[in-house]
Amino acid sequence: MAYTPQYGPGTSVVAQNRRNQMNPDHKLEKVRDITDEDIVMVLGHRSPGSAYPTAHPPLAEQQEPDCPMRKLVKPTDGAKAGDRVRYVQFADSMFNAPSQPYQRTYAEMYRFRAIDPGTLSGRQIVECRERDLEQYTKLLVETEMFDPALVSMRGATVHGHSLRLSEDGMQFDALQRCVLAENGVVKYVKDQIGVPLDRAVEIGKPMDAEWLKAHSTIFHSLVGTAYRDDKEYIEYIQRIHTLRTKYGFMPTEE
Amino acid sequence: MAKIERAQKLFLDSLNQKFKGQDIESEKTTFYNFNGVRQSPRKREFMKEAEAIEKERGISMYDPERCHLGGIPMGQRQLMSYQVSGTGTYCEGDDLHFVNNAAMQQFWDDIRRTVIVGMDMAHATLQKRLGKEVTPETINEYLHILNHAMPGAAVVQEHMVETHPGLVDDCYVKVFTGDDEMADDIEPQFLIDVNKLFGEEQAESLKAEVGKSMYQAIHIPTIVSRTCDGGTTSRWSAMQIGMSFIAAYRMCAGEAAVADLSYAAKHAGVVQMGSLLPARRARGPNEPGGIKFGLFGDIIQADRKHPNDPARASLEVVGAGVMLFDQIWLGSYMSGGVGFTQYATAAYTDNILDEFTYYGMDYLKDKYDFDYTAPSPDQILEPTQDIVNDLATEVNLNAMEQYEQFPTMMEDHFGGSQRAGVMAAACGLTCSISTGNSNAGLNGWYLSMLMHKEGWSRLGFFGYDLQDQCGSANSLAMDADRGLMGELRGPNYPNYAMNVGHQGEYAAIVSGAHYGRGDEFCYSPLVKICFADPSLKFDFSDPRREFARGAVREFMPAGERSLVIPAR
Repeated sequence: MAYTPQYGPGTSVVAQNRRNQMNPDHKLEKVRDITDEDIVMVLGHRSPGSAYPTAHPPLAEQQEPDCPMRKLVKPTDGAKAGDRVRYVQFADSMFNAPSQPYQRTYAEMYRFRAIDPGTLSGRQIVECRERDLEQYTKLLVETEMFDPALVSMRGATVHGHSLRLSEDGMQFDALQRCVLAENGVVKYVKDQIGVPLDRAVEIGKPMDAEWLKAHSTIFHSLVGTAYRDDKEYIEYIQRIHTLRTKYGFMPTEE
Repeated sequence: MAKIERAQKLFLDSLNQKFKGQDIESEKTTFYNFNGVRQSPRKREFMKEAEAIEKERGISMYDPERCHLGGIPMGQRQLMSYQVSGTGTYCEGDDLHFVNNAAMQQFWDDIRRTVIVGMDMAHATLQKRLGKEVTPETINEYLHILNHAMPGAAVVQEHMVETHPGLVDDCYVKVFTGDDEMADDIEPQFLIDVNKLFGEEQAESLKAEVGKSMYQAIHIPTIVSRTCDGGTTSRWSAMQIGMSFIAAYRMCAGEAAVADLSYAAKHAGVVQMGSLLPARRARGPNEPGGIKFGLFGDIIQADRKHPNDPARASLEVVGAGVMLFDQIWLGSYMSGGVGFTQYATAAYTDNILDEFTYYGMDYLKDKYDFDYTAPSPDQILEPTQDIVNDLATEVNLNAMEQYEQFPTMMEDHFGGSQRAGVMAAACGLTCSISTGNSNAGLNGWYLSMLMHKEGWSRLGFFGYDLQDQCGSANSLAMDADRGLMGELRGPNYPNYAMNVGHQGEYAAIVSGAHYGRGDEFCYSPLVKICFADPSLKFDFSDPRREFARGAVREFMPAGERSLVIPAR
């Protein structure tokens, strides 16, 4: 019998949004268009139009050992080309940002290949081959997993996820990498590591509170969905904890 | 689980003080207009001091407006003050860095420089092997000589150099025993009087544990243990003990019996505060990593001061524990960092953990009719999985909701590790205090972690991935190298060894199990008695108050060198 992933428990909209983001069969809603060049600028790893720096020759040009694993695992485009490994890191506000650190990691693991995510409380990093990274980042920024005001790309000095929002609705950023312009559009004036950009990169208008509440993947009793109200979710966690306590990591149902 | 209401939230005063003139329940504020690092009086003091130092030594130093983020100083948001929980004392975060806080240093100094040494073996050697008479008079004379010798003075040899008493005035030796008659014969200056320091029931029980034995509570000079290390304490103490026996009992300095006394003083009769760590940790005995959580619960004396409030007593253990284990042990000893201060302070500032914990106490009363103000083995709850799940779930949900309802509190605890440690501590304490079972408390901790992670899709730093997402499986285990009863776990317990934000709370959870039962001690009656001594520089019955005194520069430590350095 084929395994059917369930992605996660819960009856709330938060739980459903989490499943949607994780499920690769669910088509993420595209909310904005960002050009490839703009993605490259905000990432800050290479100049737009420049060649991809490489860590090794293209696989086709080097003598690959006779390895069954290499035959089994199809390399990504970035791996084929020998790209170096680079990163994108997101800081997600706890005030209903559409995605959140572990949620990002889970969604990326289901949707992307050849990635190395790292999950913390205030940031989530994913590393992979550079040209793969640009594709992945484009998806993460253009779709319902992103909001220009509450999510930002930050290589360092990520402090802000748990702070109150600025009066204009923007998440705190000590470096003010992105700002809300007078026309209501969020513009990156620095790349994710904080180096000033030659030109501002528009990343779109912040989503409204209603949309955010409907698309968020964090429980929040003040601005969103209360965790306590999703009884199925709570019971599921208690069950997991109980089974692990009694049986370790190979639980047997009583 | 069912939410209950608490009329007066303990953190409100702090939030209102920290965020003066602001709506502490609003999710909006202003940033980037605080004048950066100069908004903080303490940072301004640092800058002024550094300027003077630079002029004197000609080498640059603290320069936050140039060196931080390429010219963007910290302080783009409000740099908050903190109230040390339960004290009403406000200070700046910098004042809680252990380097800036003399009370914090003395807390650790007083532990590291302490060993307890039994006298029974030495007395047996003197009486049976050497035929010497041991009487209260000889013991008092020995203690007089020992209190001369322990700080570093000579007792037998000619032409010896000695330490300046003004530099080692914190060094002394007292004794204690469970035998009231013998205690009566000891000069009061040398006696830790169990009857006076403990309540009647606790004193009787402790005395029964000690019996007719007599122990020396030895505190070598702070300045010595600082210059050397914790492993020095038992050696220094044993050396002076040996010399004092020779002097007091007129022994031959070279006779073989002295070796027996030395062996007893150095090894057989010694109780170290911390056990020796494995070679890879490169630490001797009496260093923080070797302090068992149960023993730490006995070092802290808050249960003597608050016998009918196990929550308060446990919260004092949290404060003391996170300061030692997070700020000093992991923050500097182990990591080489500059002290993981703000991981730790979250658990003992602004009454936030206090509020979460007392919510648990109220919930216990409301649902289980458990009265935490009357600690007794008779009313503890059975530590079933269902009860632990219920308590930890409700306390954790309440804590998450408080952070959500008060965005300024979320901003106060701006890091996930801070919130994770605080919420899980409240859950663990509620479970351990009510069940009298340390492992049940640890189990509540780990349910909190899973629940936190799923609710907010985040937890702490990478380290939380290690122990907190697999902790359920080992919290009740007793298998070798996988589990242990809470009292015997410690900072070097396999899963706990490198993870900030946990060890102090674990120590408190373990202690809470005993405070909730009204036990006389957690692990060692000897340690409980030893640290009740009011002559110690640091008052172990009120560690958070002491840290607050250190923060506002009112605490006078030991080990100062002003007597032997040029006046400033």
